[in-house]
Amino acid sequence: MALIFWWLLPVGLAVAAGAAWLVFRSRRTADAAPVAHADRLTGLPSYQRALGRHRRWLWVLCASAVLLAGAALTAAARPAQQHSIRPEQANRDIVLCLDVSGSMVETDAAIVNVFTQLVKEFEGERIGLTIFDSSAVQVFPLTDDYELVKEQLDVARTALGLDSDNFGFFEGTYAGAGSSLIGDGLASCVTGFPKLDSEQRSRTVVLATDNLLAGTPLFTLDEAAALAQSSKVRVYAINPNGQESGKAATAAQRLQDAATATGGGYFALDNADAVSKIVGQVQSTEAARLTGAPVVSVADVPALPLVLALVGLAGMLLALWKVRP
Amino acid sequence: MPSLLTRVKSKMFVFAHRRARGMLDGEYASVFRGRSLDFDDLRAYIPGDEVRDIDWKASARVGAPLIKRYVAVRRQTVLLVADTGRNMAALARGGEVKKDIAVMALGVVGYLAVRHGDNVGLVHGDAGHTAARPAKGTEGHLEQLLQSVDAAATLEAGSSDLKTQLAHISRSYATRMLLFVVADELALDEETARLLRRLQAQHEILWVQIRDAELAGEHALALDSYDVADRQAIAAALGRDAEVARDYADAVAARSEATASFMAARGIVMAQIGHSSEVVGTLFSLLERHRRAR
Repeated sequence: MALIFWWLLPVGLAVAAGAAWLVFRSRRTADAAPVAHADRLTGLPSYQRALGRHRRWLWVLCASAVLLAGAALTAAARPAQQHSIRPEQANRDIVLCLDVSGSMVETDAAIVNVFTQLVKEFEGERIGLTIFDSSAVQVFPLTDDYELVKEQLDVARTALGLDSDNFGFFEGTYAGAGSSLIGDGLASCVTGFPKLDSEQRSRTVVLATDNLLAGTPLFTLDEAAALAQSSKVRVYAINPNGQESGKAATAAQRLQDAATATGGGYFALDNADAVSKIVGQVQSTEAARLTGAPVVSVADVPALPLVLALVGLAGMLLALWKVRP
Repeated sequence: MPSLLTRVKSKMFVFAHRRARGMLDGEYASVFRGRSLDFDDLRAYIPGDEVRDIDWKASARVGAPLIKRYVAVRRQTVLLVADTGRNMAALARGGEVKKDIAVMALGVVGYLAVRHGDNVGLVHGDAGHTAARPAKGTEGHLEQLLQSVDAAATLEAGSSDLKTQLAHISRSYATRMLLFVVADELALDEETARLLRRLQAQHEILWVQIRDAELAGEHALALDSYDVADRQAIAAALGRDAEVARDYADAVAARSEATASFMAARGIVMAQIGHSSEVVGTLFSLLERHRRAR
């Protein structure tokens, strides 16, 4: 709670004191009629009772006037509620970067499913979907048109389903030589963010891949990770191959290194149901990261002083009515 | 300074035209009991003359009532007694300043006395100070008396206490006089009663009460007011309270009744005046009642 025009208070108090003094002085010099033998009236018990009532109402009048003046003055000084908000939270961009090679489809479906749920709670955040295999395809760009997002995610979920025959969804992901060119895919996702240089936003890539490379990508995973790092894009990697050994373990280790290097995280996934938990972790990690640099927003809250002023006015009118019958 | 006596005379002139000319003089002349035996002449009867002054034989001869006139043995003395404390600078019932009514009343009686050939003196003052002016029989002197009353009774004057003036008179004057007292609605206490009994034994007393401003009820002052005695403020709004107004009317009536019965019990004729337009008429009836009271 703060007063925007706080200097109005001393100024107003000075003016009120001056006005009170003027009123008091004019009351003193006002021509009250001189009378003699006022004890004819003042000696009466009923007069003393009426005088008591009169004085009480005068007190009410004074108190109401002070309340009215004070409350009106406070309202005029613009009491305001200061909120510190974190606008980055609403500035969050998330690109789902899904490896749609055959081994990953089940995990992708789980991730899309989770984001279909999450999108309902989004507010101001933007989300995009890119799928890749040997080449990357942007299914839909970063947008906060949640209706479109939901529609597209539903299409993706159906296409990624086990009994899907919608191969058109994967159109364009086989253009390159090889399969699961993860470095290329991640680089495509990272460069897919608009205004990377000029606009300060929180950018996140949710990368779902097993990092089992088949072919020669233009970007290696490390290069792509370095690109992400230099563009301040955090990469959260989700690997459906949990604790394994051999080639897969090495790949997983490399993926983890790449992801943590960008400031993101790495999650090994044992079954598809754990995806929602992981996404939750990603979301909360994001939230924790975004608490910096709160912006103060100021909103006027004149209701209380105005209600008090109204009470004061009502009291004044009542007291005036009682004092001058 | 405009002559106060001229104002008094013009009031009396208007009154005299409405009634019969000379009535006031007749009423005044009857105030004094003392008469000499030196016959002067006869004149036509005018209302107010004592019936016992009618010369029946002469009246029978002429066919109209004639009055025997005697040469006064000595000049009578009228002592005007006025409160000139700050109570008299307060408002009267009719809205005027009380001292204006007081000056008018003193002037009427003083002028009647001067016209009758009597001397007029003055005792006035407040609680702390009493001034006495010697009795003389000229209009110029009367004018000075009225001026001194008018000048003394201001809001800056001392507080009113008519007992001080009454005590002064009881101490200072040995001869028999007519005391014409102009007071206001003061509450008569034991001390005043004692002084009045003392003065009544020696002098004739005529008492005029100037009515104070109404403080409550229908005819109360519209303005807020204050008591000149202690500067206590009185809100006009309080007087409009029905219960207060009723109690006030009762209290004022009781006080008025107490004063009237007190005066009546001591044979002092009293009249109440609320406005200067009532002065001459009220004084006429006061003198009339004084004559009948004997």
